[in-house]
Amino acid sequence: MSTTSTSPPLTTSHESAFRVRLRRMGETSGRVLSNPTTLGGLVIIVVMVGMAVLAPWLVEPNTPNASQMPRDWGAIAVPPGSPGHLLGTTNTGGDVLYGVIWGARTSLRLSLIVVTVTVAIGVAVGSLAGFRGGRLDEILMRIVDVFLSIPELIFALAIAAVLGPSFRNIILALAIVFWVKYARIMRAQVMHVKQNDYVDASRVIGDSSWNIFRKDVLPNSITPVVVQATLDMGNIVLVGATLSFIGLAEAGLAEWGVLVSEGQAGISGGRWWASTFPGLMVFLWALAFNLLGDGIRDVLDPKTETR
Amino acid sequence: MTAATDQRTVLAVRDLKKHFPIKDGALQRVVGQVRAVDGVSFDLLRGETLGLVGESGCGKTTLGRVLAGLEKPTSGGVYFDLSEQQRTELDQALRAGQGEDLAQLEAAHRVDRLDATNWRRFRRNTQMVFQDSFSSLNPRHLVSDIVGRPLRVYKEASGSALTERVVGLLEQVGLGRQHLYRYPHQFSGGQRQRISIARALALDPELVILDEPTSALDVSVQAQILNLLHELQQNRGFTFLFITHDLSVVRHMADRIAVMYLGRIAESGETTGLFDDPIHPYTEALLRANPDLTGDDEGFRGLEGTVPDPARPPQGCRFHTRCEYATPDCGWEIDDVVLQLEDTPALFDKLVGVERRSPFDADLEFVDASAAAALETALHGDEVPSSMKAAIEQVSVGAQTVSIKFREVNEVLLTPRGNDRLAACVLDALPSRD
Ligand SMILES: Nc1ncnc2c1ncn2[C@@H]1O[C@H](COP(=O)(O)OP(=O)(O)O)[C@@H](O)[C@H]1O
Ligand code: SF4
Ligand SMILES: [Mg+2]
Repeated sequence: MSTTSTSPPLTTSHESAFRVRLRRMGETSGRVLSNPTTLGGLVIIVVMVGMAVLAPWLVEPNTPNASQMPRDWGAIAVPPGSPGHLLGTTNTGGDVLYGVIWGARTSLRLSLIVVTVTVAIGVAVGSLAGFRGGRLDEILMRIVDVFLSIPELIFALAIAAVLGPSFRNIILALAIVFWVKYARIMRAQVMHVKQNDYVDASRVIGDSSWNIFRKDVLPNSITPVVVQATLDMGNIVLVGATLSFIGLAEAGLAEWGVLVSEGQAGISGGRWWASTFPGLMVFLWALAFNLLGDGIRDVLDPKTETR
Repeated sequence: MTAATDQRTVLAVRDLKKHFPIKDGALQRVVGQVRAVDGVSFDLLRGETLGLVGESGCGKTTLGRVLAGLEKPTSGGVYFDLSEQQRTELDQALRAGQGEDLAQLEAAHRVDRLDATNWRRFRRNTQMVFQDSFSSLNPRHLVSDIVGRPLRVYKEASGSALTERVVGLLEQVGLGRQHLYRYPHQFSGGQRQRISIARALALDPELVILDEPTSALDVSVQAQILNLLHELQQNRGFTFLFITHDLSVVRHMADRIAVMYLGRIAESGETTGLFDDPIHPYTEALLRANPDLTGDDEGFRGLEGTVPDPARPPQGCRFHTRCEYATPDCGWEIDDVVLQLEDTPALFDKLVGVERRSPFDADLEFVDASAAAALETALHGDEVPSSMKAAIEQVSVGAQTVSIKFREVNEVLLTPRGNDRLAACVLDALPSRD
């Protein structure tokens, strides 16, 4: 006899609970991806991240330092479609295809490091301020206000300039600038979520503050941070490319901003390709993460809007 | 006295106050205090159900939260689990003031001063069910997590033993195994409240504080939940503090009733006695309003006027602004004159300021002499209750000011009225109507 009753069979409880949770995650992902624009964004991301991960197999590095552009002095500024240089070369014989693909790797590294670090710091600071409240909250938020009073790009630019031109310093500068937003979002969320009766219910049970934070407050506060982090995966690459475009990264780095800057001089001479392809990559990268971020927000958190 | 006949007091509440600061302006300066709970004393005996009744805003939830240990009292004390002898000692020690006896009792019993072991014992044994069943369940947790959580906190069970305990609890509240792995949003309001109840009962607590557990539910569901609670109380001998704004809800459940008004207890006593023969005019007004089980949240029909601001409770008897039996001794004061003035905008607009010497004695300054004279006339008019007129000791009209002095009275306190009854009213008994 086969029954399809809704009551779970007498298997071990964990298996059932696990299956229910998995199903819920599946349903949520399904809803996010049912939106064609969001799906489009995700497809672009998969392709670009695939490029980044598979870079060593896609275009083999023939220099000792793979993140530096290889130079082909026999093919200066050749147009796309030239033999061995599918997307052409720059004025200094740099292969644009190499720059585009290895640039994806550089961008992925940049955005992953900065987002991981800033989300960790921001969530920690915002949670502490919002959950504890009081004097600590006042002090932390005063610091946050100072950071927020300076525009992101200008601030990052100033820090990177002071630290000296290198891509490592761009990462550092962006990390210093971008955590603040998460702290603010997280604090507001935590203050709101901790007013729910289920938090008091857990206190009445006698659960520890840490468990209450971990089980009740954090999971119900985190969605806007996830959305913002997704958007920032794109924004950070945009800002990073801007900084390297104006010369704050090492010259010759396989990075989209550097490449756009290198190709810039050729544009007036009709040699559009060296700037256009990496520029397009920056645009697509930022667009794709913004589409995905918006899609996640629409499904998980219809109320919040970005600032 | 033997332990068998020893009637334990689960909670002894002594002159409990909880005030909330009112902050204002850019500097967030404290400009006043909301006196949500303002001097409440009572005993909650083991195994009894006490109904705490009063209009919305009178401080019931705040009192419940302080008793549950969720908020620290501003002053006064909540004492947990006393024997009869200890309770007597406590009251003696409190009367005698700070001393060694008191300090010793407080360390072991006063909720905001308990050591770790006693706090744990209190925490396990005092549970709460909240009014809003939607906010009181974590939307990301499965029912199995929610109901099993207390057992996990105290490491009572784990694995499949935990699941079986949870199933047992769910069955006690009319749910079952099939509900284990569902999320709160998959349930109706009544079912969610059942889940909350199961969670509160998981540790088999001594005391359960129920804050309007049925107020947000449909009428038919209300009755079901009330029956469930009644049954659980009968079978398992819990002590319940049942908070409600609706007297009829606790009529069949509560052994005793405490009627709360503006942060204080107006009257308390055994349920049938209080229903049959109320002493306090507020209790009578509540009974007369007699809201049936319509889930009507509008408050008490039949009760006139609005609840005064808990940041400025009336003098004397707090109910005097609305009491139809008020006497000259009920606390008439300058605020009552200002309140009267507010009803006469023509005159109120001409009021410049009130210079108070005390709540009972002040100069009211007007823009001109005619307005001052008009107030004096009005004070003799029909709009002013005769008991208020009788409470005026002196009125003198100056150039643009009227000086008024009322009879000064003390706060009207709860006094014993026999038969386990307490009431805070200057009258000995309710005047017969008509
Ligand atoms: N956390 C708080 N801060 C400030 N005022 C509060 C707070 N909680 C309750 N109050 C005020 O205390 C009074 C009593 O509220 P409450 O205890 O919720 O009454 P009830 O449950 O009887 O409706 C109300 O005037 C309310 O506005
Ligand atoms: S003391 Fe009694 S009679 Fe006087 S106002 Fe209060 S309730 Fe009414
Ligand atoms: Mg309430």
